[in-house]
Amino acid sequence: MAPSQKNVLEVRNIQTFIGQFHILDGVSVEVPDGSITVLLGRNGAGKTTTLKSILGLTPPRSGAIVFNGKEIQGEPAFRTAAKGIGYVPEHRAIFRDLSVAENLRIAERKSGDLARREEFIFGLFPDLKRLIKLPGGNLSGGQQQMLAVARALVPDNQLLLIDEPSEGLAPVVIEQMMEAISRLSAHTTILLVEQNFIMASRLADRYTIIETGRSVKSGMMADLIDDEASIQRYLGAAA
Amino acid sequence: MTSFIRRNRTLLLIIAIVIVIFGGTIRTMEPKVWVSIMLSGLTLASLYFLVASGLSLIFGLMDVLNFAHGVLFVLGAYVGLSTFLNPRLFFNTLPVFFMLIAAVMMAQHLGRAFWPHVNSKRRQHLANIVLLLAAGSILYLALRGFPIRALNAFNITAVGGAVTTANAQEPMAMMFRRLLLVALAGVPIGILLSPRERQEEVPLRPIWQTALISGSAAVIGIVLLLVRDTGEIWMLALSPDFRFLLAIIMGTIAGALGGVAIETGLIRPFYGNPVTQLVLTLGLSIAGIDLIEAVFGEEANPPMPPPTLFGQSCRSDTFINWFSEHCQSVDVLGRAFPTYRLFIIVVGVVVFAAVGLMLRRTRLGMIIRAGVQDSEMVQALGINVRRIFTLVFALGSGLAAMGGVIAAPYLGVFPGMGAIFQLQAFIAVVIGGMGSFIGAAVGTIILGMARAFGDHFVAAGIHLPFLDAVVKGSPAIARASTVLIMALVLLIKPSGIFGKKE
Ligand SMILES: Nc1ncnc2c1ncn2[C@@H]1O[C@H](COP(=O)(O)OP(=O)(O)OP(=O)(O)O)[C@@H](O)[C@H]1O
Ligand SMILES: [Mg+2]
Repeated sequence: MAPSQKNVLEVRNIQTFIGQFHILDGVSVEVPDGSITVLLGRNGAGKTTTLKSILGLTPPRSGAIVFNGKEIQGEPAFRTAAKGIGYVPEHRAIFRDLSVAENLRIAERKSGDLARREEFIFGLFPDLKRLIKLPGGNLSGGQQQMLAVARALVPDNQLLLIDEPSEGLAPVVIEQMMEAISRLSAHTTILLVEQNFIMASRLADRYTIIETGRSVKSGMMADLIDDEASIQRYLGAAA
Repeated sequence: MTSFIRRNRTLLLIIAIVIVIFGGTIRTMEPKVWVSIMLSGLTLASLYFLVASGLSLIFGLMDVLNFAHGVLFVLGAYVGLSTFLNPRLFFNTLPVFFMLIAAVMMAQHLGRAFWPHVNSKRRQHLANIVLLLAAGSILYLALRGFPIRALNAFNITAVGGAVTTANAQEPMAMMFRRLLLVALAGVPIGILLSPRERQEEVPLRPIWQTALISGSAAVIGIVLLLVRDTGEIWMLALSPDFRFLLAIIMGTIAGALGGVAIETGLIRPFYGNPVTQLVLTLGLSIAGIDLIEAVFGEEANPPMPPPTLFGQSCRSDTFINWFSEHCQSVDVLGRAFPTYRLFIIVVGVVVFAAVGLMLRRTRLGMIIRAGVQDSEMVQALGINVRRIFTLVFALGSGLAAMGGVIAAPYLGVFPGMGAIFQLQAFIAVVIGGMGSFIGAAVGTIILGMARAFGDHFVAAGIHLPFLDAVVKGSPAIARASTVLIMALVLLIKPSGIFGKKE
């Protein structure tokens, strides 16, 4: 991807505190339009917190978050999301008591959003169609993950934040998920967190590595794959 | 089907035990006895439910235990009673409220211009203190010596020597001076309340809209004041049934507004700090009652007369006949049962159905159900959860206050009337499962029944199944029974019957 290409999202040196804890200490990420960018890093490095900071769920104390050329840090999460950012959180956060249909409908920002996107969503995840009346809590882990992604597709989102979509899934389902995400990237820009290095390397165009709350390295995914030393140093046995 | 049984094993077990004990006990009674005990139980359950449903929704959505919920019940009762018997109070106080609201709304625009000039944290702090002091002292000047007790002295009528309206009211000129001062006090309050940080940036209405709304509020207030004498006479001449409806509406609105005030003033600044919220609502549960005593007096009022719909001194043979006769009691299997209590039951059922439908069928209801589970995710979908919080707080508080109004003809109106309802509602919510609407309904029915059968057990004794002798209980056991039930349920299912949240 050429460096001149415009960035949908730029995270500039953010500092995030949760209570007394200094969780992020200088994270910067660039997400070019149309790309899949992956956040890599060990457990507890601060990947999830970075996504939550972007969305405003854990607002950064300093630094800037620029979405579509406008600074959005400090706005409440609901307003940030409404600007066109979809969130697929770690552990899915499906509403267990709501039916699959309701889980999708609640994500509508304008009435008719779901009707407009239905075909596309069920094309990606045909299973959801026959589960539509079930309570979200009755779905299997893989089905819940699909529903979580589908939910983020209901409104017109320009950017998707997807946190560990492969977590706890069987290899076949991971394969399905990867297929869906790569098809999605034709429509929206994606910032992905993924521990599974094989999956990350096959999907992502760019990467940023986070280590103990700091972004330490970023670049083209193709370059990282050959960089054994960096993989060993920052990701350890993960590769 | 088998999986349903397996998943709800404890629930089914509880139901089976209850049916066996209950059925065994009832078998030894005449139907007319247990039916009327059950109706009494449902009457109580309905009142408990109006308090408990809001409590449960508020806890489920916001994780806030609102100890001030009982205060709203009492507030509803007093506002209802005053609407019904003493409209003089509102013609003399509502203008003050309307004026204050009008001034606060306008002053928010001033605040928009003011805060950007106060750029350091220290100065903001200083400005806060100065504005608070200004608001407090002007309000004090505005309300000093306001004859609130005299305006409320209608209840002394029963003993003799009521204060007549002309003596209770202040001269018009004095009232206008107060309105002016209140409007002045609204200015610092409005500035204080106007949004100042980006975090809470709320686009204000265009200034002409605000001017229109607050202008009409001020005009309504002034008109109410100008027509206060004819207005009072006109209100008291309305049919009691219509006045009773007005009492319910006014009481519910007052409760809802009280809830909004509690949420924005005490709860909202402290989300993520549950202990502070708990202590604040606990404090308000005491201070609120003191405030009500200060405004309405400490004496118990005689029960509000039930509306004439339920007031004719006769006994209808059937429910059908009641529709034409409006008797105060109706024959149930040979025993008289007060029709007003049946009305209380009907209100409970209607509220249950209406709120239940709202939760199941509307988008708002869907958002509330989702928020009970994970309000952060609802927020992340682009929905302003804080606004939903305020709305649910208003709804829950309004329902509690409505409970107070309809309890007034049944229980009388006194400052301590809310305490027992608050307590029983808490127990019912714990039994039913925190945050579950159905659970609140089931919990209150269990408690209402326990209370009604407990009272009968104390008064007349009960044949327990498989025993010959009549067993009589002490009043202490009847009162403790609800807590015993709670302990039992929690032992079997720690999260309550329908509870999902821990
Ligand atoms: N609410 C919290 N309070 C205190 N510390 C927290 C909180 N949430 C996260 N942390 C800490 O912040 C650090 C970063 O957490 P985060 O969840 O962002 O890591 P992550 O990179 O997503 O890890 P994983 O790969 O395990 O999901 C961790 O050390 C974690 O313990
Ligand atoms: Mg994580």
